[in-house]
Amino acid sequence: MRQAGGVGTRILTVEDDERIRTAVKLALEDEGWDVAEAEDGEEALSAFNAQPCDVVLIDIMLPGIDGFEVCRAIRRESDVPIVMVTARNDTHDVVAGLEAGADDYLTKPFAPKELSARIRALLRRARTSDSRIDRLKFGDLEIAQDEGEVTLAGETVHLTKTEFRLLIELASNPGKVFSREVLLDRIWGYGYFGDGRLVDVHVRRLRMKVEPDPANPRHVVTVRGLGYKLAP
Amino acid sequence: MARFRYQRRLGLRARVTAAFGLGALFTAALLAATTFGISREQLIRQRESSSSVPFFNNARIVQERLQAEGGVDALALLQDLQTASGSHPVLFYSGDWISTDPQFGEAALPASLRRAVLDGGAAQMRYSLDGEPELGFGISLQTADDDAAYFEIVSLDETASTLTSLGIILFGASVLATGTGAALGWWASRRALLPLTEVGSAAQAIAGGRLDTRLEAANDPDLARLTESFNEMAQALETRIARDEQFASDVSHELRSPLMTLSASIEVLKARKDDLDERASSALDLLVADVARFEQLVNDLLEISRLEAGAAELDLDPVDPSELVLHAVGAATSSAVPVQYDEEVAGTRILVDKRRMERVVANLLDNAAKYAGGATGVRVSLAEDRVRIVVEDEGPGVPEEVRQKIFDRFARGTEAGRRTKDRGVGLGLALVAEHVRLHGGQVWVEDRQDGRPGAAFVVELPAVIL
Repeated sequence: MRQAGGVGTRILTVEDDERIRTAVKLALEDEGWDVAEAEDGEEALSAFNAQPCDVVLIDIMLPGIDGFEVCRAIRRESDVPIVMVTARNDTHDVVAGLEAGADDYLTKPFAPKELSARIRALLRRARTSDSRIDRLKFGDLEIAQDEGEVTLAGETVHLTKTEFRLLIELASNPGKVFSREVLLDRIWGYGYFGDGRLVDVHVRRLRMKVEPDPANPRHVVTVRGLGYKLAP
Repeated sequence: MARFRYQRRLGLRARVTAAFGLGALFTAALLAATTFGISREQLIRQRESSSSVPFFNNARIVQERLQAEGGVDALALLQDLQTASGSHPVLFYSGDWISTDPQFGEAALPASLRRAVLDGGAAQMRYSLDGEPELGFGISLQTADDDAAYFEIVSLDETASTLTSLGIILFGASVLATGTGAALGWWASRRALLPLTEVGSAAQAIAGGRLDTRLEAANDPDLARLTESFNEMAQALETRIARDEQFASDVSHELRSPLMTLSASIEVLKARKDDLDERASSALDLLVADVARFEQLVNDLLEISRLEAGAAELDLDPVDPSELVLHAVGAATSSAVPVQYDEEVAGTRILVDKRRMERVVANLLDNAAKYAGGATGVRVSLAEDRVRIVVEDEGPGVPEEVRQKIFDRFARGTEAGRRTKDRGVGLGLALVAEHVRLHGGQVWVEDRQDGRPGAAFVVELPAVIL
């Protein structure tokens, strides 16, 4: 039965509906993942602190601390990939989830195989640049690819795995414009019909961290109607 | 007919203005006519009485002179008389007509006046001579031997010109009054309609999605009811829409949660299908198919309610139409449907929400699969400044009378009611229509252009030329 998942990869699913939690756990275990469960926000945070996991799956509608807050709490401490689960695909929920720090989202009901594909994409390592330059410098922004470290004017910047991969992808070809479609494919593994809002919100989050003035970005620049580029 | 329609088209303000104008015109005309009539009578009477006194004096003088002496020089006698200005004396004496001015002789007096006077007596008469208004006086005189009569012709010219001036003044005043009345009507209706204009703008704002628009409370007691009830209505509408949205959101959550359990559990069962006996396995197939249908229905219903609430947000991207269609067809069907596109489409882009357009193409293919044995091809072409996506099939076609109706919700073609194994719920085409409309395009169904049997569903979207 064990097929796709990485052996020993631990997923924490946070879901208040017991039947859903059980069914999803069964299906994910079939996909080959180790699954830990939490039924509300507090339990999720203590479970996460007790034993770190590789991916967190959070339902937005939780009693007590809601999914957005759980997401922000985990983000303060960790760069672990987070997938939000929403029962509504309203723009508001999706964007709020991504801004709270989620790396991707799924709308209920999703196929467990789809979730597995999403998790595998998020766990991929940042693609190593073809030209083996250890350190890339863009003005006051420095990227040490192998160490996975980014500094802005000498200060270390904490990026999530997905934000780091987005930055590296853009930095792999400075000045080149990457369309939302290409970035969706390379970082999230989505095809033609992926949700461009993923890219937009991640760029926004990245700017908050690597731009001295996020409202007037100098490094990660929008090219209207085409996509994004890293200014050389 | 045309005039009638034109009148019907007049706005309230124009009608109020016209009513005020007409009212003013009517009143002014009535006043002017009355004033003119009274003044005319008054002026003529005045002239009559002012002329009659010298006339009788002169008549007395003439009679005395004629009685006193015989063989009088009649002309000299007339010339000696003191007559009022514009007054001409005429004397009938010894069978002769004598006058100081040849223009005002016997011929200038009307026959009836002459007859009445010569028969013995006095008379006066208003008449017109060569178009000029005149006043004639006459009295028969008593002389020793002969018949004699004295006349005076008094010109009413001056009075007439006074009356003409008065008429002009009155006419001018009427015109002015009419204009003032119309202007007053225009202003009054503007004042009266101003609150309605504000209500109109507020209603427009609400229709445009700004649901929190309210009217300012009015001090005027006549308007307070209007603003109050309008604001109450707006409040009720806002509450109701918020409640509908909340309801849709709750329903969404409540329906999707059990579906999540079903979908995950089915996945677990499907992974063990080989372990199931034949009966359990076919039961699982049924379950899988209907859970998928249920899921589609829930998604479609939620999408419809979102569109209904005006809460749909488009994530627009400029995309290559052929590329979009190729991807959508690829994602939607397992059986290959050929996609054909014109060269000229290559240079154009359409500004669309890719995932919504994917649903449009998928639903059209799905519709063809359910009712026409599957789509036979999809064509992408350019029609002036619009991109056309045509999905063709070789089914029975769509009869003229239902071509509009099939885009309604829960319409299921002509075979609705005859539920066969895999019919949709009838939301697919309604969603297509809504999505296309949201993108500023049009969708319709027609016969195939190549003359072969079957239907062609045409989606037309505005093109963005590069």
